[in-house]
Amino acid sequence: MQHRDGLELLRSRVSIISYAVVIVLGVLVFGFWQLQVVQKSHYADLADKNRIKEIRLVAARGKIYDRNHKILADNRPSYNIVYVRENSPHSVEQTVAALTTGLGMSAEELTQKIDRKKKDPSYQPITLKEDAGTGDVAYVMAHAYELPEVSVEFQPRRLYREGQVAAHALGYIGEVTEAQLQESSDLKPRDLVGIAGLELVYDSVLRGVDGSRHVVVNNSGREIETLPDEVKPISGHDIYTTLDLDLQKAAEDAIGDRVGSAVVLDPRSGEVLVLASKPSFDPNHFASGISPFEYRLLMDDPNHPFENRAIRSAQPPGSIFKVIEAAAGLESQTVTALDHVYCKGSETFNGRSFGCWKPAGHGNVGMYEAIVNSCDVYFYNLGKTLGIDKISQFALMTGLGRKTGVDLPGETTGLIPSEGWSQRVKRVKWALIDTINLSIGQGKINVTPIQAAWAVGGLASGGRLKQPRLVQPQELRRSGFESPDVGYQTYTVSEDTVETVAKAMWGVVNDGGTATSARVNGFDVAGKTGTAQVVNKSIYKKGSENEDHAWFVGFAPYRNPEIVVSVLLEHGGHGGEVSAPVAHAVLDMYYQKKTGHFNEGTAQKVASLMSQP
Amino acid sequence: MRLRDIWHDFDWTLFCAILVLSAISLIEIYSATKNSQFEHYAALKQLVWICIGIGLLFIVAALDYHIISEQIPLLYMAGIGVLVYTLALGRTVSGSRSWIVIGPMRLQPSELVKVIVIVAVARYLSELRNVRYLNLEQMIKAGLICGIPVALVAMQPDLGTTITFLPILGIGLLVRGIKPLTFVIMLVCFVLALPISWPFLGQHQRDRITNFVNPEQDLKGSGYQVNQSKIAIGSGGALGKGIFKGSQNQLEFLPTRHTDFILAVVGEEMGFAGVGLTLGLLGFILFRAINTAQTARDELGLFIVMGVFGIYFFHTLENVGMVIGFMPMTGIPLPFMSYGGSSIIAVFMAMGLVIGVRRRRYVN
Repeated sequence: MQHRDGLELLRSRVSIISYAVVIVLGVLVFGFWQLQVVQKSHYADLADKNRIKEIRLVAARGKIYDRNHKILADNRPSYNIVYVRENSPHSVEQTVAALTTGLGMSAEELTQKIDRKKKDPSYQPITLKEDAGTGDVAYVMAHAYELPEVSVEFQPRRLYREGQVAAHALGYIGEVTEAQLQESSDLKPRDLVGIAGLELVYDSVLRGVDGSRHVVVNNSGREIETLPDEVKPISGHDIYTTLDLDLQKAAEDAIGDRVGSAVVLDPRSGEVLVLASKPSFDPNHFASGISPFEYRLLMDDPNHPFENRAIRSAQPPGSIFKVIEAAAGLESQTVTALDHVYCKGSETFNGRSFGCWKPAGHGNVGMYEAIVNSCDVYFYNLGKTLGIDKISQFALMTGLGRKTGVDLPGETTGLIPSEGWSQRVKRVKWALIDTINLSIGQGKINVTPIQAAWAVGGLASGGRLKQPRLVQPQELRRSGFESPDVGYQTYTVSEDTVETVAKAMWGVVNDGGTATSARVNGFDVAGKTGTAQVVNKSIYKKGSENEDHAWFVGFAPYRNPEIVVSVLLEHGGHGGEVSAPVAHAVLDMYYQKKTGHFNEGTAQKVASLMSQP
Repeated sequence: MRLRDIWHDFDWTLFCAILVLSAISLIEIYSATKNSQFEHYAALKQLVWICIGIGLLFIVAALDYHIISEQIPLLYMAGIGVLVYTLALGRTVSGSRSWIVIGPMRLQPSELVKVIVIVAVARYLSELRNVRYLNLEQMIKAGLICGIPVALVAMQPDLGTTITFLPILGIGLLVRGIKPLTFVIMLVCFVLALPISWPFLGQHQRDRITNFVNPEQDLKGSGYQVNQSKIAIGSGGALGKGIFKGSQNQLEFLPTRHTDFILAVVGEEMGFAGVGLTLGLLGFILFRAINTAQTARDELGLFIVMGVFGIYFFHTLENVGMVIGFMPMTGIPLPFMSYGGSSIIAVFMAMGLVIGVRRRRYVN
């Protein structure tokens, strides 16, 4: 029986092993229960992420047109090379190594682009090359099987048809920033948004809604089928601006390579016909991803090509301020048009001599002659009589030293001083000599070109200030957006005052004044030049940084004006010599278009003939 | 012995369980390979192997296991010979010289040698009658019987298959009896084996172990397969996505889907229900083996069946554990389920041994 007992012992040990089987199977079944029942939805999501790839259908941005439906900002088809880390069968290094020759980019450049987006979720595509050429696209398509993590993405891209023309008004676009993403819920990573100009202000109008398409892919990234849930992209709304491309080009061509700006408004409606700032930049560079080097180059340019001088360059107005002061004198009945002052070439106030620009003197001058010849001595006396309070109150009322409310970002306020301002900000008492300086637009006073056009246009229109706009409210409402009416302010100014000042300004252009070069035959142009001293004349050097700012503000016709032009050439020299001709180019073009003499075909033919050797 | 005796007291229940598992296996192997241009006929080939396996099962079951045991010195020497031949002239597949080619067949001799080693170890242990605990000499002898073929397989090198031999010895020693202290010493040795062997492991093997400890660290590289397997199984849910409808399987996200990860395909397409059925049948077969061991007429029968149990319990534990990330990754197939002729033939022959022992369980 020994044998039987031995077998019994073995059997009992086998029984113990059977418990191990129960435990092991129990643990394994529990594992499956956890995965398949408890965490099912989590793993179902992961499986869908494996098999479903979202293809973003980028919406086209609304186009921007000028007032005559000429296209300024268009779209063109383009392709990006994008890289998705999620589910990539390769390491970043392997992918980069495979792409360097194909895309003609260095490994460092590619790695840098990837590293910059390292913290993004791994399913987020990283753009490796924007606006890729056909060679790049062909390379990626041909290697779709080996490199499923790299793909080609279609994207309508901004095309600014006129390059640098009106670049500051149009602005440019770029990839959305982290801060913007947190602010706005309808923005997604990699969206292109307006960064400057109209692109920024009307971003919500211009930006469309991206669509999407889902495709089922296998492990090699091959598309097996397209799911029927495609959402079509909705293009953004087009915008028709008030800009006039012909006038804009005329203004920019006239400014040429000089540093300066020009603003043209219709004072009746506030429409901005021209908003030129030079030097300019080509916003197309931003559309296809400006390189850090190019960007630095533009940023470091001493002439600041990104600066929108038309609304941001606040400078002393020089003699154009005399127009405002004259009106202030007449309105406050401090002077009449007939009061005369004797100009002997200089005048002494508080023991200090202030010279007239014409050392020989203008002799006996009334208001008309004083404006036409820009006599400084006349206005020293007028300023002294008026006093700082009346001058600054009236100037502020006409619109100087205030934001015009133009629909562009970054407008500066400028400065109209007052006694209170001097005490509060400068901590010095306002002195008579400050008033004397101010009365010829020098010293502690700054206005922007758009303010100058707005204020002079408003005064010439009898005290009606329409908020300058590049996009009219009705245009926005047409696209279904709410927009308040154009801002409209009025102030009281007598018809006689307007007539007196406007007539004198007509004389400046047409009666042997300082701006005869702004004259347009048949069109009653009125205007005023200004030459704002930058620093002491003793270190004056022509062409240097210290040269004077050249102003011109003009309007036409001189009664009930329909167009007002302001030109500021920084360090340009004499307003009458340099700025008035720029205004002339714009006014001449405007008049030709108005009278039907301007023919685009002829203009182009002339231009092409002239460009031939 | 008359031929019709084969049908006498044949364990049809166990046989049916095997057939149902084979059927599930064939469906999912077909599903896993129907889009593949390389393995298009995998299911058909597997069917042929199963038919051969069933034939061998009947032959082994019909033979008295005592007769097999008597022939074991010859069979054992033949097995060693084939392993040596494989090492010398075998075909290398994915780094292991573990295949031989006979006509149209490709076989892994190491799988078939397992069956011989089971019987050889069982014979040695059963002959140590009335021993309550094994002494050192006996343990070394048993270890050598198992160890010589294991060493030859390890030299191929095929680490996965090498490990599957060890449960034969392990279960044998446990049942034959070892002193509790010896057991503790062996356990400590086993635990210490990993850090000591670490410098001798290849990078590939180290990756698998580190990855098991920390599966999230490299989901693209070494952790990819287990991660995709878990996604397949988890997304299958309670009832599965439907046969031929598993995205992880059909879109090829799942690696080695018709071999090592076949259970992930079952999990995805048939859900928890399908996995439950599969594990239920495997559990039933294991318990049937334990029951057969306990009712065996003698110690030889008991040790043979427990050897079979040890191997396939380990296979099941490791493979099923691996697909859900409970065990480190190895290339150990799931019995009856994974595609592969050698393992199918081996498991059917092993089942033949179990059925043979069960038939003769009654003592006259």
